[in-house]
Amino acid sequence: MRIWIKFTKEQPLRFLSHLDLMRLWQRAIRRARLPVVYSQGFNPHPKMSFAAALPVGVTSEAEYLDVHFDKEITDVDINSLQSVLPNGLTIYGWRPVPTGTAALMALVGAHKWQTSLESVSAVQGRIEQLLQDTELWVERQSKKGVKVVNLRPYIYQLKAAAATNSLEMFLASGSAGGAKPREVLALLELQSHSDVRCTETFLKVNDFLQSPLAVFLEEKEVSVNAKEDYYQL
Amino acid sequence: MKKDYQQYFWQHILPRTEKPTRYLGNEVNAIVKDHQQAAMRVVLAFPDLYEIGMSHLGLKILYHIINQEEHWLAERVFMPAPDAEELLREASFPLCSLETVTPLADFDLVGFTLQYELSYATILQMLTLANIPLTAADRGEQAPLVVGGGPGAFNPEPLADFFDFFLLGDAEEALPQILTLLTENKAAPRSEKLRLLAMITGVYVPSLYQEKRSTSGEYLGTVPITEDLPTRVQRAVVANLDQAPYPTEFIVPYGGIVHDRLVLELFRGCTRGCRFCQAGIIYRPVRERKVETLKELARQMVHATGYEEMALSSLSSGDYSAIEQLVRELGIDLAQAGVSLSLPSLRLDSFSSDLAEQVQRVRKSGLTFAPEAGTQRLRDVINKNITEEDLLQAVQEAFAAGWTGVKLYFMLGLPTETDEDLLGIAELARKVVNVYKNSGGRGRLRVTVSTAVFVPKAHTPFQWVGQISQQEMLRRQALLKQALRIPGVHFQYHDAQTSMLEAAIARGGRELVPVISRAADLGCKLDGWDEHFSYEHWEQAFRENGLEVANCAQKDYTEQEPLPWDHLEAGVSKRYLRREYQHALAGEVTGDCREGCLGCGMTLLLPEEEKGVCTRADLD
Repeated sequence: MRIWIKFTKEQPLRFLSHLDLMRLWQRAIRRARLPVVYSQGFNPHPKMSFAAALPVGVTSEAEYLDVHFDKEITDVDINSLQSVLPNGLTIYGWRPVPTGTAALMALVGAHKWQTSLESVSAVQGRIEQLLQDTELWVERQSKKGVKVVNLRPYIYQLKAAAATNSLEMFLASGSAGGAKPREVLALLELQSHSDVRCTETFLKVNDFLQSPLAVFLEEKEVSVNAKEDYYQL
Repeated sequence: MKKDYQQYFWQHILPRTEKPTRYLGNEVNAIVKDHQQAAMRVVLAFPDLYEIGMSHLGLKILYHIINQEEHWLAERVFMPAPDAEELLREASFPLCSLETVTPLADFDLVGFTLQYELSYATILQMLTLANIPLTAADRGEQAPLVVGGGPGAFNPEPLADFFDFFLLGDAEEALPQILTLLTENKAAPRSEKLRLLAMITGVYVPSLYQEKRSTSGEYLGTVPITEDLPTRVQRAVVANLDQAPYPTEFIVPYGGIVHDRLVLELFRGCTRGCRFCQAGIIYRPVRERKVETLKELARQMVHATGYEEMALSSLSSGDYSAIEQLVRELGIDLAQAGVSLSLPSLRLDSFSSDLAEQVQRVRKSGLTFAPEAGTQRLRDVINKNITEEDLLQAVQEAFAAGWTGVKLYFMLGLPTETDEDLLGIAELARKVVNVYKNSGGRGRLRVTVSTAVFVPKAHTPFQWVGQISQQEMLRRQALLKQALRIPGVHFQYHDAQTSMLEAAIARGGRELVPVISRAADLGCKLDGWDEHFSYEHWEQAFRENGLEVANCAQKDYTEQEPLPWDHLEAGVSKRYLRREYQHALAGEVTGDCREGCLGCGMTLLLPEEEKGVCTRADLD
């Protein structure tokens, strides 16, 4: 049975790399004695993947794991899994997923990020200015060298909230391109900010964005569930 | 205050380190206890990086023995990598334990493991980072006691001033006694505690012993300062390993470590009697765990950790008396749990492809064998009782079973070694290549010949012999390199200077105390890592104290003169070692002591009902 699990990655686990986190989940699932399905082939590996690679140092309350088990999974299994997870990993929810659905990773379209601000008013002007621009070119270091990317189409929303002294960034992500939270913080001249937090992950379904636990799944089809919250692009 | 250390470390230091998972603590199965409630607080210090220290079985055993007592606590600390060390120094932040970020100076006992000589300077760096006075004499009543254990404790004199006491032998036996004594005498003055500790079998308090010298300055031995102390310190031995505690709840690290897997210790000790091998002496006699015990431990370990791999570990695992049964039955249990089994230390003569098949289901990339020497003559000298036929048969079986790579370990510079013995190594490598060709092996074969320079160790039959000179090391390495220009053969060798330094410290006495201290002053640390090792600094430290690395390494002892470790008893008599040395020089082999007790003296340290293989009452 294939499922998606929503979980948190809190202090002190924010320093774990993608690989560290994968190893952690594999061992936790084994501790809980839940049988994972292995891929066929010369070098079999457990069929598990994350929705996205969270940057090291960032906390999150909306990470997703896509995993295939060799048995039916119930809340009892999820509870026993929770009981063997280390401090900082809490399961927030889960759902069964048809085996034909595309990999979670391939469906991700956006993330919401949050960071605290010392002063909202100081940033407000810069945000407005940024959002008026139609092009925001930044340099990105890749293995093949430096690439120049226009971030503007990937920025859906920037909102500074005076009540909570925080900045919320709604940014595109995934295979079709996206903006990283640190890149946007740099544009806002807030690069020294270290307490970035992911507050939600969204799947892109046609022109809509919706949480992985909310979307409607049937066979290979993924569609928007109108009864739950969603965003239209 | 404690909270403050943790908070500061988490906010200001940890995020700036290159690899925070080294210092995170909080791993699955790490044990966090309340310091206020603990009667005895121990920090286990490993003088190397996290990924090395966390791979070490001894640390896990100690952690388990201490923490299984409700009112004792054990935490861990490792040497910070240079980037983190710099951050600590910059912030004047003391070295703290992983579990609760408590400064080392706030513990009752700081325990260092002495695994290799090249870690000794690192120990001093860690004490300095912890603001603990470097010498035992300078430590006040409030300072923790500093203890060292592990193989290095069998010649601890180069570290004598830095430690309050040493533990020789099995911690399963001695450590609970030590901690009980310290718990009961918490209020006693430091000097009183040390006096009491010195009466426990296995405990050596260096400040209660002094070097005796003749009027001409000649070393006459190390003797107790008062008559009530034992003249010779006996090693602690856990006679029944099967009933000894074993950790099943291994801490599961987040970041990768060197040996990131479960380790199941089948037995302690080795019966083979290789004459260069210190472990073969100081872990005598051979003591096995029962198959049923091992299977139950394995089951618990997998369940408690979720690890995907388990290694069977012993000095020579193939010698386990029921190895076939164990591997078969354990293999079935583990396969059901999706755990793979590996068997890292197989001897050539106990290798069978069936066994190898069972344990290496997944990868067939590499097998390692250790002939140690290139000719039968030299293998007889070192009592490595395997033959060329053993090797060729083992590789033939391996190739037939599909392996395409084999690594061969040798030692260079063994006593009596000649160029002929070195050329014998190349000859063996060539024969291995031919076996592959003749067995119809297809694809590319990779034979790796790896040589380490022989380092004579205390408490071995070769303890009297000096190491070969650096010039000689380089000449022999070059000779071998030339001879090993064989297609399909790859040659690796160890750095000559680190081997020299190891040899210089391994058989040294208290004259090395100021040398190690000076080396640490000069910044020596993590000397096992090429990128941190500075031979120049070590050379300077020796020279400033009127010594030379080369002289110390090459020093021959006469069989009559007292040795710096004669007052420390590993269990094997000096007479036996001397006789083994004579046999070596005569090229005579000594049998496996499972097949007949050789009367090495070990029996004297064992209780009547647990003599095991040590059956001879008369000593040779």
